[in-house]
Amino acid sequence: MSTELPYAADAEVSLSYDELEVLRLQYEREQLQAHVTVQTKFNFAWGLVKSPLREHQVEGVRLLQDLYRSEPTRRRECLYYLALGHYKMGNFEEAKQFNGLLMEKEPTNLQALSLAQLIEKGVTREGYIGMALVGGAAALGTIVLAGLIRRATRK
Amino acid sequence: MPSDPPGSLRDEPKRNGRNVLDSINTSNSLAGSSKLQFIQNAIMTPFSHRKNESSSIISGLAPVIMTPRMMKAASTVSSKQPRERIVNSSMSRSRMDFATLGRAPLRLGLGTRRVTSRDLEIVEATEQLLHVEVPEPDGVASNVSLLRGFNATIPSAEQSKSRRRQMRSVDAPHIGLKKLGMNARGLLADEDDHEGQSVTSEDDVVMVPRSDATLRKGKRRGRESLSATKMLGKDELTRQRKEILRDKENINIKRSLVNNEIMEITHKIEALDDIRTKLEKDLIKLQEDELELDDELQGVKERLEFEQSGPARMSQSFQILHSSRRRKGPAFLPSEHDELPPGVAFMTLDSHTAPISALDFSEPYGTLVSASVEDSQPIVWDLLSGTESGRLRGHIGTVKCIQVEDTVCVTGSEDCSIRLWDLRLVDAEGSDGWGDEGEIVSLSDVAEEDSSEEGTRPNGIRNGMGKEQKEDAACLRVLEGHTKTVTTLFFEDNCLVTGASDKTLRQWDLTTGQCVMTMDILWAIAHPTSSTLANNLFAGAAASVGTFAFPMPPRADGSWDMYEDYVGGVQFWGYGLVSGSGDGAVRMWDMRTGQAHRTLAGHSAPVTCLQFDEVHIASGSLDKTIQIWDVRTGGVFETLKYDHPVTALQFDTRKVIAATGENGVKIYNRTSMQHSTLLTNGHTSPVERLRYMDRYLVTGGRDSTVKVWSL
Repeated sequence: MSTELPYAADAEVSLSYDELEVLRLQYEREQLQAHVTVQTKFNFAWGLVKSPLREHQVEGVRLLQDLYRSEPTRRRECLYYLALGHYKMGNFEEAKQFNGLLMEKEPTNLQALSLAQLIEKGVTREGYIGMALVGGAAALGTIVLAGLIRRATRK
Repeated sequence: MPSDPPGSLRDEPKRNGRNVLDSINTSNSLAGSSKLQFIQNAIMTPFSHRKNESSSIISGLAPVIMTPRMMKAASTVSSKQPRERIVNSSMSRSRMDFATLGRAPLRLGLGTRRVTSRDLEIVEATEQLLHVEVPEPDGVASNVSLLRGFNATIPSAEQSKSRRRQMRSVDAPHIGLKKLGMNARGLLADEDDHEGQSVTSEDDVVMVPRSDATLRKGKRRGRESLSATKMLGKDELTRQRKEILRDKENINIKRSLVNNEIMEITHKIEALDDIRTKLEKDLIKLQEDELELDDELQGVKERLEFEQSGPARMSQSFQILHSSRRRKGPAFLPSEHDELPPGVAFMTLDSHTAPISALDFSEPYGTLVSASVEDSQPIVWDLLSGTESGRLRGHIGTVKCIQVEDTVCVTGSEDCSIRLWDLRLVDAEGSDGWGDEGEIVSLSDVAEEDSSEEGTRPNGIRNGMGKEQKEDAACLRVLEGHTKTVTTLFFEDNCLVTGASDKTLRQWDLTTGQCVMTMDILWAIAHPTSSTLANNLFAGAAASVGTFAFPMPPRADGSWDMYEDYVGGVQFWGYGLVSGSGDGAVRMWDMRTGQAHRTLAGHSAPVTCLQFDEVHIASGSLDKTIQIWDVRTGGVFETLKYDHPVTALQFDTRKVIAATGENGVKIYNRTSMQHSTLLTNGHTSPVERLRYMDRYLVTGGRDSTVKVWSL
């Protein structure tokens, strides 16, 4: 079972609009009938998580959380998808927590291990970019300052 | 780290660029972050080429950020120790603080991430979700993963199928024509259904025999499509084969998913059903409570009137009122005949030709079984319609006692045997016994039972008709062991206790049909326990060895019989057994030891009927009284005196109903302590047997009729 999880790369491949639409229609139809099957809900949620649009991802994670609450037998699987969803949204802290819980249960889960690494990478990258931004701002400031000083000293 | 060679400075932007590229590769669809990175890239590039003082700041920072060792350390630490990291994420934060520090400006500025309420909602839910128990997956959850289900059900799963179709639609127009042609001849095959299963199906369809005119065309087409198939090539065909296999696998997955859903729905329905039954029970309970309150109110009202007329007996009444309230009443089932006026016999069953000797019914408007003195075949009645639904054939003597629980009926007879009946198997045909044999459908399970019991004829002979064989259809067991008339019986679940004129009580196991224990009343008389006061027993009790016979006092109409039933009544609850016998004693037995541990003496004539609840024992006797005893102290709680011998009684916390040798049925209201008599449309001869449930009373009299009353 543990091997039947998608790698994180799979989450980056979005479905076509039509496909997502089909999943959405299916979900909405079942919702109208007041009985949404687990699979349908998951299909729609996973399709949303795979989407590049952030609103979709948020909605997908929300649905996954619903599933997680209502289907105890599916929780372990959902842990991974939740982690993946949060990772994709950039909520590395949450992703780390979910993934950590999963790895606590299944320390040998390859997908979870690889996701953990990806999350770390994401965190580091963000940190680096942020630092660079600060650095850039500082550099700009220095240039301006230096220019001002130079102008002042010339006078 | 600041001491790192400045040479690494050069590499930094490049690496940065690669890093960004990597991230774009892995998250090319992540619009928000890629945009961010683009901006980032744009800002960074100018600096990398400029050689002024500002770059020294970057060079100061860059090594810290880019040390590969550090990155590696960070990632390995995190992947090695996931546990600790969750438990104390604050620690991890301190370890990663440069990253968090760096991320801070991202969070603050740029506004690339629009935080919506939904965002907050899911982030806030995290904490809660992490604390929920994560059980092992079981059932379908462990067989079919969500992802497999997803792959099996997303629309693209159908792609290969449509692709294959397209591959073969080289001759699509031909198929269209063929379809048209066949359609015109009403030969349209379900081609589409075949397509997914076999590539050659088209050719099969082509081979469908057809009329002359189309034969040539068909052949040509067959060749065409055949050639088209050939053109697909080996690779394509193996690929298609694989795809088809995968599709079939998908179908399997889908099937198990649907099955799972069905199962889950079944569970849900069951759970809901349980809730509904519980609620229904609650409803019944409420109705019971209401009835009980009504009854109590009535009693109190009557009592009030009574006391206003004669306030002298205050003290006594007070005590009784108090105790009656404290007592927990029996189940007071909701009445179905609220519309009927109370105290009226609304149904008369008059098929019997002799005085009623025993009767019992399953529930109001259920099944009644009644027996008369001169008939060995009790009649089974449908109380809803008031019609005879069959007879219990098998006894060869008068049936003296009957108990019905649901569909199970036990009868005891003068022929010394006890029979166990299944009322569902009672022949629906008339009393002649020559009904259609085909109607006894459920013979098989009965046949096993009674062949083991009686060792009689095999199934096949049943078709040979005859009264002898028919009688056994409903009779599940015959219990033999008593040596004289079985006069009373009581059973609950699988335990049966019978009393007989042979002066013994026997305990039976109804599942095996074995006699578990025999309790000898004579032995109990001969070996009185400490609390027994043998002297109080009426004269002649000690001399009761030999045949028992007691001339009963005359009834209201002057008639009398010789009373020969030694044990008048038995009842048990748990291990406690109470019997009332011909020596006028009420004995309490312990069914674990078979010993009588207490004898209640007070009647001066044989006890004919008996019942007890948690608090009281009520016993009726030929001495024209009903004694109500306190179970705990063994003392007499109340004595009800009548004008004629008591032959049957039943009581609950609020009333005692008795048959006392008169035409009317006597009711004693225990709350108001008032007596009343049921006469309207009643018996024309003394009532001898009765049984009630809720407000539904059935009585049997010497006038050979059975009457149903509403109370």
